[in-house]
Amino acid sequence: MSLEDGLLLYRTHDLIALGKMAHAVQQTKSGDAVYFVLNQKIEHTNVCVLSCKFCDFAAKKGSSGAYEMTTDEILARLTPEIQEVHITGGMPPDWPWERYVDIVETIHERLPHADVKAFTAVEIDFFHKKFRMSIEEVLRRLKAVGLKTMPGGGAEIFSERVRKLLFNQKIGAKTWLEVHATAHRLGIPTNSTMLYGHVETLEERLIHLIRLREAQDETGGFLTFIPLAFQPGDTGIKPRNRFTSAIDDLKTIAVSRLMLDNFPHIKAYWVMLTEEVASVALNFGADDMDGTVGGEKIAHDAGAVSPMTLAKDRIIRIITDAGKIPVERDVFYNPLHVFADNVIGKIPYLNSVPFYAHFEKRRFRILPVVPRRMGILSQQGEIDAGPFSLMDYVRQREQLELMGWCIATRDQVKSVMLFSKGGWADLEGKTIAITDDTATSVQLLTVLLEKKYGIRAILQRLHAGVNDYSGFDAVLLIGDEALRRNKLGMDGFELVYDLAREWYDWQKLPFVFAVWAMRKALPAQKKADLKDSVQRSLETSEMDFASVAGKHGRSIGLTEGETREYLEGFNYRLGERERAAIEIFEKLLADLRQLQEN
Amino acid sequence: MSLLEIYRKVRSGERVSRAEGLRILAESELLDLADLANDIRFRNNPDRAISFVVDTNPNYSNICNVDCIFCAFYRHPGEEGEYAHTVDEMIANFKDAAAKGVTTVLLQGGVNPALPFEYYLELVERTVRDVPEIYPHFFSTSEITGMSRISGLSVPVVLQRLWDAGLRSIPGGGAEILSDRVRKKISHLKGPSAEWLSVMREAHKIGYKSTATMMYGHLETDEDIVEHLEVVRRLQDEYHGFTAFIPWSFKPGNTPLEKIIPHYATPTRYLQMIAFSRIYLDNIQHIQASWFSEGKKTGQIALHFGADDFGGTLLEENVHAAANFVNKTNTDECIQLIHESGFAAAQRTTLYQIMKVYPIPAELAA
Repeated sequence: MSLEDGLLLYRTHDLIALGKMAHAVQQTKSGDAVYFVLNQKIEHTNVCVLSCKFCDFAAKKGSSGAYEMTTDEILARLTPEIQEVHITGGMPPDWPWERYVDIVETIHERLPHADVKAFTAVEIDFFHKKFRMSIEEVLRRLKAVGLKTMPGGGAEIFSERVRKLLFNQKIGAKTWLEVHATAHRLGIPTNSTMLYGHVETLEERLIHLIRLREAQDETGGFLTFIPLAFQPGDTGIKPRNRFTSAIDDLKTIAVSRLMLDNFPHIKAYWVMLTEEVASVALNFGADDMDGTVGGEKIAHDAGAVSPMTLAKDRIIRIITDAGKIPVERDVFYNPLHVFADNVIGKIPYLNSVPFYAHFEKRRFRILPVVPRRMGILSQQGEIDAGPFSLMDYVRQREQLELMGWCIATRDQVKSVMLFSKGGWADLEGKTIAITDDTATSVQLLTVLLEKKYGIRAILQRLHAGVNDYSGFDAVLLIGDEALRRNKLGMDGFELVYDLAREWYDWQKLPFVFAVWAMRKALPAQKKADLKDSVQRSLETSEMDFASVAGKHGRSIGLTEGETREYLEGFNYRLGERERAAIEIFEKLLADLRQLQEN
Repeated sequence: MSLLEIYRKVRSGERVSRAEGLRILAESELLDLADLANDIRFRNNPDRAISFVVDTNPNYSNICNVDCIFCAFYRHPGEEGEYAHTVDEMIANFKDAAAKGVTTVLLQGGVNPALPFEYYLELVERTVRDVPEIYPHFFSTSEITGMSRISGLSVPVVLQRLWDAGLRSIPGGGAEILSDRVRKKISHLKGPSAEWLSVMREAHKIGYKSTATMMYGHLETDEDIVEHLEVVRRLQDEYHGFTAFIPWSFKPGNTPLEKIIPHYATPTRYLQMIAFSRIYLDNIQHIQASWFSEGKKTGQIALHFGADDFGGTLLEENVHAAANFVNKTNTDECIQLIHESGFAAAQRTTLYQIMKVYPIPAELAA
């Protein structure tokens, strides 16, 4: 969408039509899920060398109200259930580099299950200048001690005009984008923000969005976009000393969802947006509520009207009332817990699209979740059914019942690919990166390596998404990422192996990556409804794959023809040959385990 | 019938049944509900304008013997903090309000057993005579039942006497939820829903206009909501006495019900109530959203969910405030909130006659 399209959307009086468009996009991205995280915000100090007009959080060193937290004081604020520690603060003149490293390292060591999301681009740039290290070096060192992601603050609005008016000491768009691109290259995904509702124009907001979209096209490392409503309070900004209207807030959420077609998530940050608007935004394109936050000093000091902390059950209630599935997530948006009934898992890859064209809304709700996570949620009893990774089905056979469908290849797959620097024989003793999303593909890789080629390699798990693969000898990718990389190629990894083809050449059988299954304990009527939904979806989709999945294919760079050809390469029905393939694969795996035990 | 067929039925102007209503409420996506409600809103009220009234909600007494567990406002006779104002004090209060531009006084109290019927008659007469700028919008059905008990007169006679004193409009509060299953639990002394309905029926028969309200967000189910709207719709068919329908959510602060219902209903639920009441109540012209009861931002959004009225400016308000729910505006801000939502603002009288239109300023007209 162009800047002009964006203006047209912003200027409409038909708020509901705009919301519906954004909501439709939201559903293709995250189904019925709305995410939240149990998090704690830490502002380690409010002492800051900058004086930005919109901020009434910062204080000068030695002034009354100035504070600086020690690492111990920070630890004391963290409770065991926290999943994400969000750290941003002022930029004090006299802290040594080691103090920042110590904060990240200590939190990472003491709360290993909590992920550290720390330091805005403004702070990273400050470290770069103050400690005379390149931006890359700053980020590399922080990553080495436990930094997982970066918050998106400090972007304000990408306009030199506004920057000169309001925050002329702060980094501009160029530096902000450079810091984030560097982080993405190093395998640190980040968030992004926009501060709106002060002196900026609508055009400036849209230019901001377009620049973020372009940056995302380059790196793919942004997890989410967070529009931040300006909080007039005791700040130095006079021109429009009012809170943004709810209509402006909702339009901004919706327009962001529509403009940022390559962003996975849009966050309705309740602390800044108010609980009122954030609740409604869940039907206007936003799929994330942020979290319990703990304490939020910056927005609070400027008079934000939200309560300091929304308890988890309040967030769950808000999401449920919005007709969505409350999903507790980690910092990478992996679902950890689901708080709803009638939830059906959906593998968020192109090859699963044909199963979901005809699910009746409200009866079953759809949660997109990568294969390995679907297995974990099923283990926890939190989803009713879905196309389970073969390995997860095998592990949970006692609780699950096959439904007669599967995701099986005929002779190749194109979306479970090993990208390698050398041939199979060269991988002996080498390290292969595998991503967090795979459950069965990694087992197939192991079987191929050890049973077909007689090779032992080391497998190392990374989170899915942006990663720095340069230090690995090979990388296993699955799903849409594999399809995209297969088409574009991957620098330095010249050899590409299709694991299903490797299997077929060896066994002359299809490979079954996933099987549809549902919980045995479900009531009979529900089982029948569920089967009916899947069957009707699949039959409709098979009449014309391109019309059902064309849009999804386009979003990862495939033409309609390529999408059709890719989907026609699958067999979705669990037949004799598929069952035979499963049996042989299980036997090979069992042999392998025995071998390993001996 | 599929949900889409029910939507088509609504759009064609046909009345939906209880069962169909329940499906609309339970199964609709939020924005589909909004879309449907807007269609009807613009059919009934085609102008892109939102009306509001400059009003105040004082109370003549907080002494009450009805003991509703959702209320933080009332005191028992003799309890600390109880009060009852004289007629003179109230008239002074109204004059004060009139000087500030107020045109409607929504006056309610507790149901105070110590006040004689003459007190209420005098209040009405003196208001009409001494403060002509003010249109009295006095006394909920519970108070009218209370007057009947104190005076020994029947409800119709009480209403006739008040009418003769000059009262023409009564507020719709006290309806709470017109489902006896829930009423027994939250306000058992307030009488069954039939009592609210019969006072309203008698009033409409005489010629009174009134609003109708609904308080949700406590123990009710979707079925109770539909039941409430159904009985209101049926009564409206008889005399067409309801000017507007006003839903609001239960505020748990400082009430005995707080222990069971610790959370405010969500803004999403409010928007559902606004939109659904617009769809179900095909015979009530105005649906009132409020900047006051759910928050200014939710109020603004509700104007896109089928509401065509923004309630009053509420110079004074004590009942929600007793539940720690405080929200303030003034006429200028009220107009601005409406303008920001994309509508002209229209100041109205108690009975929804437009007095003055404030067109949307050029910079907000997009």
